[in-house]
Amino acid sequence: MSKYFISLCMALLSLTAVAQKEVMAKKDSVHYKKKYGLRLGADLSKLIIGATDKNFSGYELVADYRIQKNLYLAGEIGFVEKKSEEDNYNFTTKGSYITVGFNKNTFKNWLEMDNEIYYGARYGFSAFSQKLNNYTVYQEGTDVDGLKSAYFPPRTMDSNQTYSNLTAHWVSFVLGLKVETLSNLFLGASVNFSKLIGASEPNNFKNLYLPGFNKVYVTNSGVSFNYTLSYRIPLFKK
Amino acid sequence: MKKNRLVFLLLLTLLGACENDDFCTEETTPRLIIGFYDAENPEEFKTAPLFIWAAQKDTIYQGVNVDSISLPLNTNSRETIYKFSHSQEVDQINFSYDSEDIFVSESCGFKVIFKNLTLESFTNTWIESIDINNALIENEKQVHVKIFH
Repeated sequence: MSKYFISLCMALLSLTAVAQKEVMAKKDSVHYKKKYGLRLGADLSKLIIGATDKNFSGYELVADYRIQKNLYLAGEIGFVEKKSEEDNYNFTTKGSYITVGFNKNTFKNWLEMDNEIYYGARYGFSAFSQKLNNYTVYQEGTDVDGLKSAYFPPRTMDSNQTYSNLTAHWVSFVLGLKVETLSNLFLGASVNFSKLIGASEPNNFKNLYLPGFNKVYVTNSGVSFNYTLSYRIPLFKK
Repeated sequence: MKKNRLVFLLLLTLLGACENDDFCTEETTPRLIIGFYDAENPEEFKTAPLFIWAAQKDTIYQGVNVDSISLPLNTNSRETIYKFSHSQEVDQINFSYDSEDIFVSESCGFKVIFKNLTLESFTNTWIESIDINNALIENEKQVHVKIFH
Protein backbone atom coordinates (compact mmCIF):
# COMPACT_ATOMS: atom_id res chain seq x y z
CA MET A 1 0.00 0.00 0.00
CA SER A 2 2.73 2.41 1.06
CA LYS A 3 4.51 1.54 -2.18
CA TYR A 4 1.50 2.81 -4.13
CA PHE A 5 1.29 5.90 -1.96
CA ILE A 6 4.89 6.81 -2.67
CA SER A 7 4.53 6.39 -6.39
CA LEU A 8 1.34 8.46 -6.34
CA CYS A 9 3.21 11.20 -4.50
CA MET A 10 5.98 11.00 -7.03
CA ALA A 11 3.51 11.35 -9.86
CA LEU A 12 1.79 14.31 -8.25
CA LEU A 13 5.14 15.95 -7.53
CA SER A 14 6.18 15.64 -11.10
CA LEU A 15 2.86 17.23 -12.13
CA THR A 16 3.44 20.20 -9.85
CA ALA A 17 6.91 20.48 -11.26
CA VAL A 18 5.46 20.70 -14.78
CA ALA A 19 2.91 23.23 -13.61
CA GLN A 20 5.62 25.28 -11.98
CA LYS A 21 7.66 25.24 -15.16
CA GLU A 22 4.75 26.63 -17.11
CA VAL A 23 4.22 29.43 -14.64
CA MET A 24 7.92 30.23 -14.71
CA ALA A 25 7.95 30.34 -18.48
CA LYS A 26 5.02 32.71 -18.56
CA LYS A 27 6.71 35.03 -16.07
CA ASP A 28 9.95 34.94 -18.03
CA SER A 29 8.66 35.74 -21.50
CA VAL A 30 8.24 39.35 -22.46
CA HIS A 31 5.85 39.87 -25.34
CA TYR A 32 7.52 42.20 -27.81
CA LYS A 33 4.77 44.13 -29.43
CA LYS A 34 5.00 44.63 -33.16
CA LYS A 35 4.28 47.91 -34.83
CA TYR A 36 1.38 47.89 -37.23
CA GLY A 37 0.92 50.52 -39.85
CA LEU A 38 0.93 51.59 -43.43
CA ARG A 39 4.29 51.43 -45.16
CA LEU A 40 4.85 53.67 -48.18
CA GLY A 41 7.88 53.83 -50.40
CA ALA A 42 9.41 54.25 -53.82
CA ASP A 43 11.48 52.11 -56.13
CA LEU A 44 14.98 53.60 -56.32
CA SER A 45 16.14 51.42 -59.21
CA LYS A 46 13.68 52.92 -61.69
CA LEU A 47 14.81 56.41 -60.77
CA ILE A 48 18.48 55.46 -61.21
CA ILE A 49 17.89 53.62 -64.49
CA GLY A 50 15.79 56.57 -65.70
CA ALA A 51 18.64 58.95 -64.93
CA THR A 52 21.28 56.89 -66.75
CA ASP A 53 19.38 55.27 -69.62
CA LYS A 54 17.98 57.69 -72.17
CA ASN A 55 15.55 55.05 -73.42
CA PHE A 56 13.85 54.60 -70.05
CA SER A 57 11.84 56.73 -67.72
CA GLY A 58 9.57 55.54 -64.96
CA TYR A 59 8.70 55.47 -61.33
CA GLU A 60 7.08 53.04 -58.96
CA LEU A 61 5.41 53.62 -55.61
CA VAL A 62 5.04 50.71 -53.21
CA ALA A 63 2.78 50.25 -50.21
CA ASP A 64 1.94 47.54 -47.75
CA TYR A 65 -0.25 47.18 -44.70
CA ARG A 66 0.37 44.70 -41.90
CA ILE A 67 -2.69 42.62 -41.20
CA GLN A 68 -1.06 39.87 -39.10
CA LYS A 69 2.30 39.48 -37.39
CA ASN A 70 3.81 38.02 -40.56
CA LEU A 71 1.26 38.88 -43.21
CA TYR A 72 1.05 42.04 -45.25
CA LEU A 73 -1.32 43.31 -47.90
CA ALA A 74 0.94 44.76 -50.57
CA GLY A 75 0.79 46.58 -53.85
CA GLU A 76 2.69 48.66 -56.33
CA ILE A 77 1.67 51.38 -58.73
CA GLY A 78 3.87 52.76 -61.44
CA PHE A 79 4.43 54.43 -64.78
CA VAL A 80 6.94 53.45 -67.46
CA GLU A 81 7.98 54.84 -70.81
CA LYS A 82 10.56 52.67 -72.51
CA LYS A 83 12.05 52.59 -75.98
CA SER A 84 13.16 49.07 -76.95
CA GLU A 85 15.71 48.80 -79.73
CA GLU A 86 15.88 45.49 -81.55
CA ASP A 87 18.17 44.66 -84.46
CA ASN A 88 15.81 45.73 -87.20
CA TYR A 89 12.99 47.60 -85.51
CA ASN A 90 12.33 49.70 -82.47
CA PHE A 91 9.26 50.60 -80.49
CA THR A 92 8.20 52.66 -77.49
CA THR A 93 5.99 51.30 -74.74
CA LYS A 94 4.21 53.78 -72.52
CA GLY A 95 1.75 53.09 -69.75
CA SER A 96 0.92 52.61 -66.12
CA TYR A 97 0.34 49.57 -63.97
CA ILE A 98 -1.00 48.46 -60.63
CA THR A 99 -0.37 45.28 -58.69
CA VAL A 100 -2.07 43.99 -55.54
CA GLY A 101 -1.43 40.95 -53.39
CA PHE A 102 0.22 39.84 -50.17
CA ASN A 103 3.63 39.22 -48.63
CA LYS A 104 4.25 36.46 -46.10
CA ASN A 105 7.27 36.96 -43.85
CA THR A 106 9.36 33.84 -43.12
CA PHE A 107 12.10 35.54 -41.10
CA LYS A 108 12.12 34.91 -37.33
CA ASN A 109 12.97 38.21 -35.69
CA TRP A 110 14.81 38.59 -32.38
CA LEU A 111 13.39 40.91 -29.79
CA GLU A 112 11.92 44.03 -31.36
CA MET A 113 13.56 43.55 -34.73
CA ASP A 114 11.22 43.82 -37.66
CA ASN A 115 13.07 42.57 -40.70
CA GLU A 116 11.57 40.40 -43.39
CA ILE A 117 12.48 37.71 -45.83
CA TYR A 118 9.22 37.18 -47.58
CA TYR A 119 7.44 35.53 -50.42
CA GLY A 120 4.20 36.70 -51.90
CA ALA A 121 1.86 36.85 -54.82
CA ARG A 122 0.47 39.63 -56.95
CA TYR A 123 -2.18 40.26 -59.51
CA GLY A 124 -1.04 42.88 -61.99
CA PHE A 125 -2.86 45.04 -64.50
CA SER A 126 -1.49 47.50 -67.02
CA ALA A 127 -2.97 49.98 -69.48
CA PHE A 128 -0.52 51.06 -72.13
CA SER A 129 0.27 51.93 -75.72
CA GLN A 130 2.88 50.53 -78.10
CA LYS A 131 4.37 52.79 -80.74
CA LEU A 132 6.23 51.14 -83.58
CA ASN A 133 8.77 53.81 -84.52
CA ASN A 134 10.48 52.28 -87.53
CA TYR A 135 11.59 48.99 -88.94
CA THR A 136 13.68 47.42 -91.66
CA VAL A 137 12.19 44.37 -93.29
CA TYR A 138 14.09 41.12 -92.85
CA GLN A 139 15.11 39.60 -96.15
CA GLU A 140 17.18 36.51 -96.87
CA GLY A 141 20.79 37.44 -97.50
CA THR A 142 20.20 40.55 -95.47
CA ASP A 143 22.50 40.36 -92.54
CA VAL A 144 21.96 43.11 -90.07
CA ASP A 145 25.62 43.15 -89.03
CA GLY A 146 26.63 43.69 -92.64
CA LEU A 147 28.47 40.39 -92.84
CA LYS A 148 26.52 39.35 -95.90
CA SER A 149 25.41 42.16 -98.09
CA ALA A 150 21.89 42.07 -99.39
CA TYR A 151 21.33 41.81 -103.13
CA PHE A 152 18.73 44.53 -102.73
CA PRO A 153 18.94 46.85 -99.76
CA PRO A 154 15.96 46.00 -97.54
CA ARG A 155 13.25 48.59 -97.18
CA THR A 156 13.12 50.73 -94.04
CA MET A 157 9.79 52.13 -92.96
CA ASP A 158 9.17 55.04 -90.61
CA SER A 159 5.93 53.57 -89.50
CA ASN A 160 5.21 55.70 -86.41
CA GLN A 161 2.16 53.54 -85.85
CA THR A 162 0.70 53.85 -82.37
CA TYR A 163 -1.40 51.08 -80.90
CA SER A 164 -3.22 52.63 -77.97
CA ASN A 165 -5.80 51.53 -75.39
CA LEU A 166 -4.09 48.19 -74.84
CA THR A 167 -4.38 46.29 -71.59
CA ALA A 168 -2.68 43.28 -70.03
CA HIS A 169 -3.01 41.36 -66.81
CA TRP A 170 -0.78 38.82 -65.10
CA VAL A 171 0.05 37.01 -61.88
CA SER A 172 3.43 37.12 -60.13
CA PHE A 173 5.35 35.23 -57.52
CA VAL A 174 7.43 37.57 -55.36
CA LEU A 175 10.58 36.95 -53.35
CA GLY A 176 12.04 39.77 -51.31
CA LEU A 177 13.57 41.15 -48.17
CA LYS A 178 13.15 44.26 -46.11
CA VAL A 179 15.53 45.59 -43.48
CA GLU A 180 14.63 48.24 -40.92
CA THR A 181 17.68 50.47 -41.12
CA LEU A 182 16.40 53.32 -38.99
CA SER A 183 13.28 53.29 -36.90
CA ASN A 184 10.37 52.80 -39.33
CA LEU A 185 12.64 53.31 -42.34
CA PHE A 186 13.10 50.24 -44.52
CA LEU A 187 15.37 49.27 -47.37
CA GLY A 188 14.02 46.48 -49.51
CA ALA A 189 14.62 44.46 -52.62
CA SER A 190 12.36 42.06 -54.41
CA VAL A 191 12.16 39.97 -57.56
CA ASN A 192 8.91 39.24 -59.40
CA PHE A 193 8.42 36.24 -61.60
CA SER A 194 5.37 36.93 -63.69
CA LYS A 195 3.16 34.99 -66.01
CA LEU A 196 0.89 36.77 -68.42
CA ILE A 197 -2.78 35.78 -68.21
CA GLY A 198 -4.02 37.86 -71.11
CA ALA A 199 -3.32 40.95 -73.16
CA SER A 200 -4.82 42.83 -76.08
CA GLU A 201 -2.31 42.35 -78.87
CA PRO A 202 -1.63 45.12 -81.38
CA ASN A 203 -2.59 44.30 -84.94
CA ASN A 204 0.43 43.06 -86.95
CA PHE A 205 2.77 43.64 -84.00
CA LYS A 206 3.32 42.07 -80.61
CA ASN A 207 3.53 43.09 -76.96
CA LEU A 208 7.23 42.51 -76.38
CA TYR A 209 7.46 44.77 -73.35
CA LEU A 210 4.80 45.66 -70.81
CA PRO A 211 4.88 48.28 -68.06
CA GLY A 212 5.34 46.54 -64.69
CA PHE A 213 5.94 43.19 -66.35
CA ASN A 214 9.05 44.06 -68.39
CA LYS A 215 10.23 42.01 -71.34
CA VAL A 216 7.69 39.41 -72.41
CA TYR A 217 9.48 36.13 -73.11
CA VAL A 218 8.25 33.53 -75.60
CA THR A 219 6.51 31.57 -72.84
CA ASN A 220 4.62 34.73 -71.79
CA SER A 221 6.74 35.00 -68.67
CA GLY A 222 8.65 37.96 -67.31
CA VAL A 223 11.03 38.99 -64.56
CA SER A 224 11.14 42.32 -62.79
CA PHE A 225 12.83 43.63 -59.69
CA ASN A 226 12.86 46.67 -57.44
CA TYR A 227 14.97 48.27 -54.72
CA THR A 228 12.78 50.22 -52.41
CA LEU A 229 13.11 52.79 -49.69
CA SER A 230 9.99 52.93 -47.58
CA TYR A 231 8.67 54.49 -44.42
CA ARG A 232 6.20 52.93 -42.02
CA ILE A 233 3.57 55.20 -40.58
CA PRO A 234 3.04 53.45 -37.25
CA LEU A 235 -0.63 53.26 -36.35
CA PHE A 236 -0.80 50.88 -33.38
CA LYS A 237 1.11 48.13 -31.57
CA LYS A 238 0.01 44.57 -31.03
CA MET B 1 18.63 25.86 -44.62
CA LYS B 2 15.34 27.50 -45.44
CA LYS B 3 17.25 30.47 -46.81
CA ASN B 4 19.31 28.17 -49.03
CA ARG B 5 16.15 26.66 -50.38
CA LEU B 6 14.81 30.10 -51.21
CA VAL B 7 17.99 31.08 -53.02
CA PHE B 8 17.94 27.83 -54.93
CA LEU B 9 14.34 28.40 -55.97
CA LEU B 10 15.25 31.91 -57.06
CA LEU B 11 18.14 30.70 -59.22
CA LEU B 12 16.02 27.98 -60.73
CA THR B 13 13.30 30.41 -61.71
CA LEU B 14 15.90 32.81 -63.12
CA LEU B 15 17.33 30.03 -65.26
CA GLY B 16 13.87 29.17 -66.48
CA ALA B 17 13.37 32.78 -67.45
CA CYS B 18 16.40 32.80 -69.76
CA GLU B 19 15.28 31.78 -73.18
CA ASN B 20 17.10 31.60 -76.43
CA ASP B 21 14.94 33.75 -78.63
CA ASP B 22 17.72 35.92 -80.03
CA PHE B 23 18.05 34.18 -83.37
CA CYS B 24 15.66 34.52 -86.23
CA THR B 25 14.78 30.97 -87.22
CA GLU B 26 11.35 31.56 -88.73
CA GLU B 27 10.69 32.01 -92.42
CA THR B 28 11.08 35.63 -93.40
CA THR B 29 10.75 37.46 -96.71
CA PRO B 30 10.33 34.76 -99.35
CA ARG B 31 12.21 34.70 -102.62
CA LEU B 32 10.62 34.16 -105.98
CA ILE B 33 10.97 30.52 -107.01
CA ILE B 34 11.36 29.96 -110.72
CA GLY B 35 11.19 26.48 -112.25
CA PHE B 36 12.63 25.65 -115.65
CA TYR B 37 10.54 23.25 -117.68
CA ASP B 38 10.84 21.51 -121.01
CA ALA B 39 8.82 23.40 -123.65
CA GLU B 40 8.03 20.17 -125.43
CA ASN B 41 7.16 18.28 -122.33
CA PRO B 42 5.68 20.88 -119.89
CA GLU B 43 5.45 18.45 -116.97
CA GLU B 44 9.20 17.79 -116.92
CA PHE B 45 11.91 19.96 -115.41
CA LYS B 46 14.69 20.89 -117.80
CA THR B 47 17.91 22.40 -116.51
CA ALA B 48 19.36 25.54 -118.05
CA PRO B 49 22.93 26.88 -117.86
CA LEU B 50 22.32 30.41 -116.67
CA PHE B 51 23.76 33.75 -115.75
CA ILE B 52 21.21 35.89 -113.93
CA TRP B 53 21.34 39.49 -112.80
CA ALA B 54 18.93 42.24 -111.95
CA ALA B 55 18.97 45.41 -114.05
CA GLN B 56 21.91 47.63 -112.98
CA LYS B 57 23.16 44.99 -110.56
CA ASP B 58 25.95 42.46 -110.30
CA THR B 59 25.35 38.85 -111.28
CA ILE B 60 23.43 36.92 -108.69
CA TYR B 61 23.79 33.49 -110.33
CA GLN B 62 26.91 32.78 -112.30
CA GLY B 63 26.89 29.79 -114.60
CA VAL B 64 24.54 27.61 -112.63
CA ASN B 65 22.87 24.65 -114.23
CA VAL B 66 19.73 23.97 -112.29
CA ASP B 67 16.05 23.25 -112.82
CA SER B 68 14.86 25.85 -110.33
CA ILE B 69 16.26 28.97 -108.69
CA SER B 70 15.18 31.46 -106.07
CA LEU B 71 15.48 35.18 -106.70
CA PRO B 72 15.05 38.00 -104.18
CA LEU B 73 12.56 40.70 -105.09
CA ASN B 74 13.32 44.34 -104.42
CA THR B 75 11.29 45.42 -101.38
CA ASN B 76 11.92 49.10 -102.14
CA SER B 77 10.11 48.90 -105.43
CA ARG B 78 6.94 47.46 -106.93
CA GLU B 79 8.94 46.05 -109.80
CA THR B 80 12.10 43.98 -110.15
CA ILE B 81 13.75 43.44 -113.54
CA TYR B 82 15.83 40.31 -114.02
CA LYS B 83 17.91 39.30 -117.02
CA PHE B 84 18.44 35.64 -117.82
CA SER B 85 21.38 34.77 -120.01
CA HIS B 86 21.49 31.35 -121.68
CA SER B 87 24.43 30.73 -124.05
CA GLN B 88 24.92 34.43 -124.83
CA GLU B 89 21.20 35.00 -125.41
CA VAL B 90 19.61 37.40 -122.89
CA ASP B 91 15.96 37.47 -121.98
CA GLN B 92 14.47 40.09 -119.71
CA ILE B 93 11.51 39.61 -117.41
CA ASN B 94 9.90 42.44 -115.44
CA PHE B 95 8.20 41.21 -112.27
CA SER B 96 5.55 43.51 -110.76
CA TYR B 97 3.86 42.98 -107.43
CA ASP B 98 2.19 44.52 -104.40
CA SER B 99 3.82 43.98 -101.06
CA GLU B 100 2.62 43.67 -97.50
CA ASP B 101 4.71 43.82 -94.33
CA ILE B 102 3.96 41.19 -91.72
CA PHE B 103 5.36 40.97 -88.20
CA VAL B 104 6.99 37.56 -87.73
CA SER B 105 8.56 37.41 -84.29
CA GLU B 106 10.68 39.29 -81.81
CA SER B 107 14.00 38.16 -83.31
CA CYS B 108 12.99 38.36 -86.99
CA GLY B 109 10.97 41.54 -86.96
CA PHE B 110 9.03 42.17 -90.16
CA LYS B 111 8.93 40.22 -93.39
CA VAL B 112 7.41 41.13 -96.73
CA ILE B 113 5.03 38.99 -98.72
CA PHE B 114 4.35 39.76 -102.37
CA LYS B 115 0.90 39.71 -103.88
CA ASN B 116 -0.69 39.98 -107.31
CA LEU B 117 2.45 39.03 -109.18
CA THR B 118 2.37 39.96 -112.85
CA LEU B 119 5.14 39.80 -115.39
CA GLU B 120 6.16 41.21 -118.67
CA SER B 121 8.82 39.59 -120.78
CA PHE B 122 10.94 41.10 -123.49
CA THR B 123 13.12 39.62 -126.20
CA ASN B 124 12.12 36.00 -126.00
CA THR B 125 15.20 34.39 -127.40
CA TRP B 126 15.70 31.13 -125.55
CA ILE B 127 12.51 31.27 -123.45
CA GLU B 128 9.49 29.80 -125.19
CA SER B 129 6.84 30.87 -122.71
CA ILE B 130 6.34 31.92 -119.11
CA ASP B 131 3.53 30.96 -116.79
CA ILE B 132 2.59 32.30 -113.35
CA ASN B 133 1.94 29.30 -111.18
CA ASN B 134 1.23 31.24 -107.99
CA ALA B 135 0.71 35.01 -107.88
CA LEU B 136 0.98 35.08 -104.09
CA ILE B 137 4.55 34.77 -102.84
CA GLU B 138 4.33 34.06 -99.13
CA ASN B 139 6.73 31.16 -98.81
CA GLU B 140 9.38 29.25 -100.75
CA LYS B 141 7.60 25.92 -100.71
CA GLN B 142 6.46 25.85 -104.33
CA VAL B 143 7.29 27.23 -107.75
CA HIS B 144 5.78 30.66 -108.40
CA VAL B 145 6.83 31.11 -112.02
CA LYS B 146 7.39 28.46 -114.68
CA ILE B 147 9.73 29.12 -117.56
CA PHE B 148 9.46 26.83 -120.57
CA HIS B 149 12.42 26.50 -122.87
